[in-house]
Amino acid sequence: MLQPVFFRSVFGILPLFIVLLPVNSSTCVMENTTVIREKYENILSHDIELLENMSEEYRDRCCRNKRHETPSAFFCNDTQEIRSLQNMACDMLKFFYKKKINKDFRWQTARVSCMTLEILRCRCDRESKNRKVCILLTQPSKDTLGAQDPKKKCCQELCELKETIASLRSCWNKFEKEIAR
Amino acid sequence: MLRMTRTSTAFVILLFFLLHTTSGESGSTSEDESDDELENMDIECFSQLEIKEDCHSLICNVTELDLNNTNVNLTVCSTIIEKRICSTMEKQEGTYFLYFYGILSPKEVCVVLESNRPYCRSVEVTHIVKPETPFGINITFRKDANEYFIRYKTPHSKKKYLKDKLIHETAYRQENGTWETIQSQYLRVKLLGKSLQMGASYEVKVRSKPNGKYFKGIWSEWSSSEYFQMEAEHPRKKSTDMVVVITTVGFILLFVTLVLILTFWKTRIKPVLWPNLPDHKKTLEQLCKKPKKNFDTSFNPESFGYVHIHKVDGIQAKAEVECFLQPSAPLDADVSEKVCNGSSEMKTSLAAVDKSVLKLPVTYGGIWPSDTLSGHLCETHPSILDGSSNDIPYKVCSSNGTRLYNCGPMTHSSSSADPMVQPRSGPLNTNTMSLIQPNNGVKSSNKDEVYVTMSSFCKNQ
Repeated sequence: MLQPVFFRSVFGILPLFIVLLPVNSSTCVMENTTVIREKYENILSHDIELLENMSEEYRDRCCRNKRHETPSAFFCNDTQEIRSLQNMACDMLKFFYKKKINKDFRWQTARVSCMTLEILRCRCDRESKNRKVCILLTQPSKDTLGAQDPKKKCCQELCELKETIASLRSCWNKFEKEIAR
Repeated sequence: MLRMTRTSTAFVILLFFLLHTTSGESGSTSEDESDDELENMDIECFSQLEIKEDCHSLICNVTELDLNNTNVNLTVCSTIIEKRICSTMEKQEGTYFLYFYGILSPKEVCVVLESNRPYCRSVEVTHIVKPETPFGINITFRKDANEYFIRYKTPHSKKKYLKDKLIHETAYRQENGTWETIQSQYLRVKLLGKSLQMGASYEVKVRSKPNGKYFKGIWSEWSSSEYFQMEAEHPRKKSTDMVVVITTVGFILLFVTLVLILTFWKTRIKPVLWPNLPDHKKTLEQLCKKPKKNFDTSFNPESFGYVHIHKVDGIQAKAEVECFLQPSAPLDADVSEKVCNGSSEMKTSLAAVDKSVLKLPVTYGGIWPSDTLSGHLCETHPSILDGSSNDIPYKVCSSNGTRLYNCGPMTHSSSSADPMVQPRSGPLNTNTMSLIQPNNGVKSSNKDEVYVTMSSFCKNQ
């Protein structure tokens, strides 16, 4: 009598854990650091540099005053650079639909975010929406971004995006030095 | 027993289900799915990065050996954030191309036939890169280095990924000759002039390829050719020869100039550059230079052919003597005229040379000057005049033992042969005989009186 209960408990529940295992796992898949470094140095670094140049062009006087009021919430934690980069990239994807920001600037921001996630083999918590953005980037047309709103006096979102970009850049540099050792 | 059997069956089924789900989607590969009709099929693709702003292109070609099916479609699938996205390639002139954005993930190119299973091939777009063709070849000749400097451009210089990741190959050849290549990671190369044939025409072209460190791929298309012609003569050699020739000629001219200067320095160059200033003292000394002590002069009577020259033993005042000649003798008269005519010259010349000569005593009449009488000795000599009716002895006066010239025939009015001569004052007369008393101590009159007497004598003649 005891044997069916034993087999049921062992072989019945255990498969459920195996099936449900991917759901509770991390959102990033472990990738070879050498591959990550090569892709960053040869491809992603150039796109981040282009994004920084574009960020410098879109200066906003509001950003100087409010920088100290709302410091950046993104930190590049030691031994958790991948997690930090994932959070930054996923946060940048939300600006894709901010019409107050320049269309080309939003497009390049989304590209950098998607490439970061692709290199690290991570995905965002809000998977469905972010995945849609990266899929849209594969389309040759930028019409999906929509029209840009007239330029306002102060753009808080632009300031926030510029700070996030700067944080992303510095975190990538830190991570590169770490994996190059 | 029956329960155990059901349980085990359920377990097996569940296990099979779990194995199927955990294994994930398995992409079909060409190695697993082989078809007889697709065995000879191969897909050749290459990618072009940033061909249109941020967009990339994928160009594929299907090599069909046995299939003659025109309805072939190629699809490209990629996984983006664990989602598979496929696109159909466009067919254009026997090739298939597709524009895409992501180059991080591999692409799976599948040949989809109507009836057959798809034949797929996984490609890494960063490993099949074909760069764009270089352009703008510029050839410059550097004379100083004798080399050709070739520069070119590539569209990837202004792009992100392949900017410094390419190797460039420069090919050059002589007209219809074999190609020679030079590889460089920079956008310039040099061709040495010594390795080229003089006067020949050369063709140059360039192509590019990924350096292979991360991006791999194939050579791009060759650029358009540029031509240049090597100079006929070695410019550096020609200039060197000219320098040698000019230097040699310069040294020769310098040497010749130095020799000429040293040779003609004292005679011609120095007098012109530093002429000697005339010194009056030296000039006068040269002009008033006295004849030498043993100054010998020769008198050739033959050179005076028209003049009847009488040889005498001593030098006397010829001018005064000739004036005392008698005019009856035509020969003598002619001579006397000539002598008289020439006496003036002789008088002046004699006066210039020695005044004492003119002051010599005269044998015909007159009053001998006092200063001359003291030192003169006169001797009586028989007449030596020929053709003269008056054979009158004459006296030869000598001064201080030196014989003087004949003063002329002596004429005396008296028949007396007394050699003694009595001095008389007044004008001279041919009939007057004047003798000089030798050693009688009688002094002559003044010099002026002598000259007056002689001049009056000439007038009487």
